[in-house]
Amino acid sequence: MDEDVLTTLKILIIGESGVGKSSLLLRFTDDTFDPELAATIGVDFKVKTIAVDGNKAKLAIWDTAGQERFRTLTPSYYRGAQGVILVYDVTRRDTFVRLDNWLNELETYCTRNDIVKMLVGNKIDKENREVDRNEGLKFARKHSMLFIESSAKTRDGVQCAFEELVEKIIQTPGLWESESQNSKLRLSDSPDARGGGSCGGYCSML
Amino acid sequence: MSGPDEDRLSPPLEHSRSIPLPRPFLPHLQVVMAEPLGRRLTDAGRFACAGLCGVSLCSLFPGEEQSSFRTGFIRGLVGWLQLSEAVLPVMEAFASGAGEEGSHSFADLLREEMALKDAAILIPQDLVSFSLRDGYYDSRARVLIRHVSGLLQVPFEELEVYEESLVKSLKGHEAEDSEQAESSQRKASRRRLKRYFLIGLAAVGGGTVIGLTGGLAAPLVAAGAAAVVGTAGAAAIGSAAGVAIMASVMGAAGAGLAGYKMNKRVGAIEEFEFLPLTEGTQLHITIAVTGWLCTGKYGSFETAWRSLRQCKEQYCLAWESVYLMELGNALVTLLNGLLNMVAQEALKYTVLSGLVTALTWPASLITAANIIDNPWGVCLNRSAEVGKHLAQVLLSRQQGRRPVSLIGFSFGARVIYFCLQELAKETGSKGIIEDVVLLGAPVEGGAKAWKALTKVVAGRIVNGYCRGDWLLNFVYRSSSVQLTVAGLQPIALEDKRVINVDLSSIVNGHLDYMKQMDTILKAVGVKTKDCRLEDQRNMSGLPACPHALHSTMPLRPETLPSALSPPSPSAAGPQTQPNHPPHPTPEFLQQIWWRIRVKSYSKIVSGAWSLSSGET
Repeated sequence: MDEDVLTTLKILIIGESGVGKSSLLLRFTDDTFDPELAATIGVDFKVKTIAVDGNKAKLAIWDTAGQERFRTLTPSYYRGAQGVILVYDVTRRDTFVRLDNWLNELETYCTRNDIVKMLVGNKIDKENREVDRNEGLKFARKHSMLFIESSAKTRDGVQCAFEELVEKIIQTPGLWESESQNSKLRLSDSPDARGGGSCGGYCSML
Repeated sequence: MSGPDEDRLSPPLEHSRSIPLPRPFLPHLQVVMAEPLGRRLTDAGRFACAGLCGVSLCSLFPGEEQSSFRTGFIRGLVGWLQLSEAVLPVMEAFASGAGEEGSHSFADLLREEMALKDAAILIPQDLVSFSLRDGYYDSRARVLIRHVSGLLQVPFEELEVYEESLVKSLKGHEAEDSEQAESSQRKASRRRLKRYFLIGLAAVGGGTVIGLTGGLAAPLVAAGAAAVVGTAGAAAIGSAAGVAIMASVMGAAGAGLAGYKMNKRVGAIEEFEFLPLTEGTQLHITIAVTGWLCTGKYGSFETAWRSLRQCKEQYCLAWESVYLMELGNALVTLLNGLLNMVAQEALKYTVLSGLVTALTWPASLITAANIIDNPWGVCLNRSAEVGKHLAQVLLSRQQGRRPVSLIGFSFGARVIYFCLQELAKETGSKGIIEDVVLLGAPVEGGAKAWKALTKVVAGRIVNGYCRGDWLLNFVYRSSSVQLTVAGLQPIALEDKRVINVDLSSIVNGHLDYMKQMDTILKAVGVKTKDCRLEDQRNMSGLPACPHALHSTMPLRPETLPSALSPPSPSAAGPQTQPNHPPHPTPEFLQQIWWRIRVKSYSKIVSGAWSLSSGET
């Protein structure tokens, strides 16, 4: 099954506590929704294979906890990520305002410059919207991110968010090709490269 | 490791006046029993603790065959730490290879956790308690705890003190049995203690059997008892006795275990017995296996292991002393009588250069071959049999359900090698062996053969080899050229567990494995005690054994032609370099070799093949 997978991509989901990061992931991977979903402890991890433009990609998705007390655990998962989904809650302006902080953190800990970013405004099924779609769009443009509004409850935009992100990553070849080349290098490099180095230690003594 | 350190690590003990136990030992226990770590850490801390274990599990025990252990351990730990079930999927993902990058942030966070500001040791301590909860100390759990201690920058020695304290407090409680005034609370806590820690602590006099399985291990004890007293007897024991009685019955039967078993089960083996090297009980044991004996100073199995202090409870396997003595004497005769030092040095370098074929061995050696070949052949077979038997003994958990480390040289290493091969074939053999040290092993050194060992060894597999061990090379001369011998070269196996240690600078010949054991142990990272001063004086002075050539004639570079001088041991030190064999220039050695052959041709005929230092 793994053979026809083009590449494995590391995706990260970040954002304030309670914006629906885990719900988005759960909808995407298991197509379920739990209104009473407990707060994530530390970090969660899920794998899903999706096909984009005929290419299969295996997604290793890290869903981080938004709560302050887990903040020291999450940054290590930024390393090596190819895509990040930044989530805010359209019914809570504070989660939108604090996006800047998240972008800062991303810049601090992320190891690549060309990481593909997707901004997701979640919970559009709710009535009391506080952040307008255009505001989100504007913010995304300013920071050159992809943008979509979604609802994990009604499925709106969830699949689309992940698919577009993956599509964009695959269109940015430097992002994932270098990975596979590295692993090839490692293979040819491995053991049995003896022979040449057979002269050591004792030579100098003789 | 007592006193101030422990006082610092353990919070003030409130009940100390009411409990008449040695003070240093109880506090740790109280900390763990009174307040599980789960309640002392924040949930981020608990997540980090489980996560750290998960990531470490995967890096230590990769592979499909270990997956059930990994998931079992991590699931148990999530429950033990009172973490939400919701973290199970991610923990299992950690344990199967995802999220390696997080381990450092886990460790950092744990160190910073408020509850642990001063005592990161509480975490590995809690893991020990967790691992012992079923009365079964898995060697993999211990290796994991060792690893986690390292990540948390806790010296493992401190943790060993804790393990000891568990044993001692258990013993203390047992001694206390007769005392009357016990509060019900203390009774309860004692029961709990027993349940947790009673895993083979019954010491048996006479030095026949390794500590016994008691308590929860009763079913396994019965299985072992069947071998000792026959099926009918075992049935009687099993039906009549409770757990406590079982332990004592095993003590009685255990004393006669060795001899009886040997006659009954493996006809070929004549001697198989465990001798205690050090007094003491611990949550893990070390078994040392001697490779040969010789008359005089090195006549007993224990001699080589004088300085071994890998743990408090150490045993030495006594096996086939008659044949080992024959072999050892043959080795000494060969080395003392037939080949002088210089010739041996030349041989050593010839072996190093890889020039040796069946044709280039000196004729005197070939004529003397029967002296060594016969006992060697006998021991080859016997050691394999003994190894297989050792595997069965370990499998039946005669040693209790706790980790075992094995260390052996020469044929002792071969015993261990075959023991591990046998274990690898059996089911339920994982989680018994902790570390293994093989020195100068006369066994096959192919990666494929050694792959099997990694299945049953949880910790390190150390292969200590010597490139210039011409004797090993000589006795394998008739074998196919392709055969690689582990005692002569590194094992080319890509596995974190396999560690090759080049002992060429310490070991001058096969006999040195016995004589230089102290230095070798240090070189391969095994704990030793420093020999007492008088001992050292005795060793460097008159040798007790007239055959002990090396100790009387230390080989000095200046007594040899400069071209042949070996690297000075002090300068070179032990080298751990798996992939770059130190080789002298082949052409140069060829030259020397020919000169040796031509110059000493007449002497070869007379059997006194030699090379004086002036001749080259």
